[in-house]
Amino acid sequence: MPGRNGRRGLTRRQVVGAGGAAALGLVTPWRYAVAAKVAPMTIVINQSPWFDSFRKTVELYEKETGNQVELDVNPFAGSLEKQRNSVRAAKGQYDLLIMNGGWVAEMYFGGFVEPIAEIDPAFKLDPDVYTLDNTVYFDAAKKAMSAGGKLMSVPISPLIPLLYYRGDLYKEAGLKAPETFAELEANAKKLHKPPGRYGIVQRGARGPASVSYDFYPYLYGFGGGIFKNQSAGDYTVTLNNEAGRTALDYYLRIAKEAGHPQTASLDQAEVIQNMLTGKAAHIMVVISAWSQVDDPDKSAVIDKVEFAVPPHAQGFSTAPGLGHWLGGIARNVPDDRKRSALEFLRWFQTKEAQLAYAKNGGIPVSAASYRDPIAQERRFRWMKPLGDALPHAVNIYQFPEASEVISILELGLNQAVAGSTTSVQALNGMAEQIFGVMSKRNYNTGKLPALP
Amino acid sequence: MKPIASAAAHVAAVEAEPSATVSQPTAADFARGLDERLWRWLTLSPALLLLLALSVLPLLNLFATSFFTVSWSGGHSSFTAAGLNNYRELAGDTLFRAGILNTVLFALFAVGGQMLCGFVLALLCTGVARGRLLYRTIFILPILVPGIVVGAIWKLLLNYDFGLVNQATALIGFDAVNWLGSANTALASVIFVDIWHWTPFCFLLFLAGLQSLPQDVYEAAKIDGASGWQELAYVTLPMMLPTIMVTFAFRLVLAFKVFDEVYLLTGGGPGTATQVMSFTLYQRFFREDQTGYGSAMSVAIIFMTCLLLSAAFAARGRMGAAR
Repeated sequence: MPGRNGRRGLTRRQVVGAGGAAALGLVTPWRYAVAAKVAPMTIVINQSPWFDSFRKTVELYEKETGNQVELDVNPFAGSLEKQRNSVRAAKGQYDLLIMNGGWVAEMYFGGFVEPIAEIDPAFKLDPDVYTLDNTVYFDAAKKAMSAGGKLMSVPISPLIPLLYYRGDLYKEAGLKAPETFAELEANAKKLHKPPGRYGIVQRGARGPASVSYDFYPYLYGFGGGIFKNQSAGDYTVTLNNEAGRTALDYYLRIAKEAGHPQTASLDQAEVIQNMLTGKAAHIMVVISAWSQVDDPDKSAVIDKVEFAVPPHAQGFSTAPGLGHWLGGIARNVPDDRKRSALEFLRWFQTKEAQLAYAKNGGIPVSAASYRDPIAQERRFRWMKPLGDALPHAVNIYQFPEASEVISILELGLNQAVAGSTTSVQALNGMAEQIFGVMSKRNYNTGKLPALP
Repeated sequence: MKPIASAAAHVAAVEAEPSATVSQPTAADFARGLDERLWRWLTLSPALLLLLALSVLPLLNLFATSFFTVSWSGGHSSFTAAGLNNYRELAGDTLFRAGILNTVLFALFAVGGQMLCGFVLALLCTGVARGRLLYRTIFILPILVPGIVVGAIWKLLLNYDFGLVNQATALIGFDAVNWLGSANTALASVIFVDIWHWTPFCFLLFLAGLQSLPQDVYEAAKIDGASGWQELAYVTLPMMLPTIMVTFAFRLVLAFKVFDEVYLLTGGGPGTATQVMSFTLYQRFFREDQTGYGSAMSVAIIFMTCLLLSAAFAARGRMGAAR
């Protein structure tokens, strides 16, 4: 690489500087040695409940390495729009894109994210870092997120829903944490004392990814699914099969018999609010809300909430839907900034950074953190169930038009929860519309006969 | 003869255009006129070009994009000709159809409510001799509140579990109502919030209109022995008609563009109960990134808005001609 004066090779000052840095590396802690001194970079990120923990971890990175990071923080939808604008320009504004599982396919398929090996062929994903149903990889030839593809990103927040339940009420009633949907239903009904307390509070409102995200653990936990086999490129719509009907009937039944009277209008914030104010015995929401339940400024149920792996039907395993965040490096930024972004990711995946992240209130992406003694501490009681559930997490969508399908599910499921359609009408209607979307985009698709 | 007849004659006289004396133009007048017209066009042309660049070209671009399907691969966009498919699909779009119906309902009731409340408040304020400034300040407060804050205020007030409205109604024995979450009340709630937010706009325009009305017409009406209602019906309303129509047109266009209140309060739900056109467009264009289809939807919405405005102004023209 040419030096500043245009000559190849290193100048005397560079050699002396490098020698000094190497000598300093021998006497400084590991952390300083892991991340190299690199150019300033910008991360575009959303304002989620876990953002504060990420910000603190970034500050730690800056302190330890001296590298500069600028955070561009936005609401959920705003972050996607800013990312689209940046990656579609000739020259990008953001170096590291914090991508949600819902739009990561759009970024991979669109060719907006640089494969990590093209920035540093020697980079290896830490074997302890969860690959989250292989969503960190992308096989451009097969147009699939599979382990055979190139490494495209590093997990930032492995969000999935967990079951939050009132441990104090369970103790009083002599109940044990539910493992199956049958147990959850029985326990929810037992603790259902409206209007003071609801057995379960569900997220039935229509939104960008609201009721559909709430429904995935039920759909997949009953052995259902939206498509036959996305990884194999088979997009036959299977939403309206028997498993789908059983799942939706169950979801509607517990809402009616043990749920909040206005489930169809409850979004995530209201569901969490019901738990924090003691009005819900169970909720199944994203794990990032964990820090709120023990926050004296926010919660009336401090130390009363326990966490469990999302239940499943007998004969199936738990199947929480991924709502995770991945860090991908934009293709259209200068090389030095790509290396800056990669340096941060390299540092972020270390066990020490992950533990600091957890202590700051974040959700670690490394299994090593879940094996650490920290996971035994009372305030991190969610770590064990999360560690147990993560290997079963399901990537619901592997194609860039996912938001169109989500939009169909949001409306159809919301109408079913509101009681304006039956489960069969909703499933048949949604399946037909999803088939239409996939056909229009020339996917290998098909549909099942309508449910009677 | 009706007692208000002479006042009505005054109104007609006030509204009548002064007739101009027309004389035959000479050749010199024609040449001077040509020069003036040329000079006028020359001086206007920079502004016209700017207007063309900022308004017409984006619209043309939108129109052109509406005939394509846009996709991305390898970091580059590709445009595939879609013919009229994007426009054909509009007819089968459940959300778009629901959006049209709800937008029309929203516009009719919200604008109607704002016009009525604004006019009544303006009339009351005009009749007040002391403290008019205070009343005026209080009445215009909601319009000063940013839309996002309006959303936060009413989301809290109308919350089913913790909202002040339900807590207040519970005190007098009513059951809690899911104002924003029930298909029966959600649209009405959003309309109510919009009326609360935008009535001051109508109020201000009406107040300005009322204060500029010539007082001699009212004096004539009084001399004729007109009652308060007759004064309102035969003097105030006819003279206020231009202001009312302009206010109506402004509000109608803004009501057709409603987005923030729906986005913040209901997200279009429950079901499609509060789905409005702008929100559907936001979903299709931005959230789902359907650039071509979203452009077609945009063109359709612009066309409908223009149609509506034309109808409103045609109605105004007819009313003016009838009088």
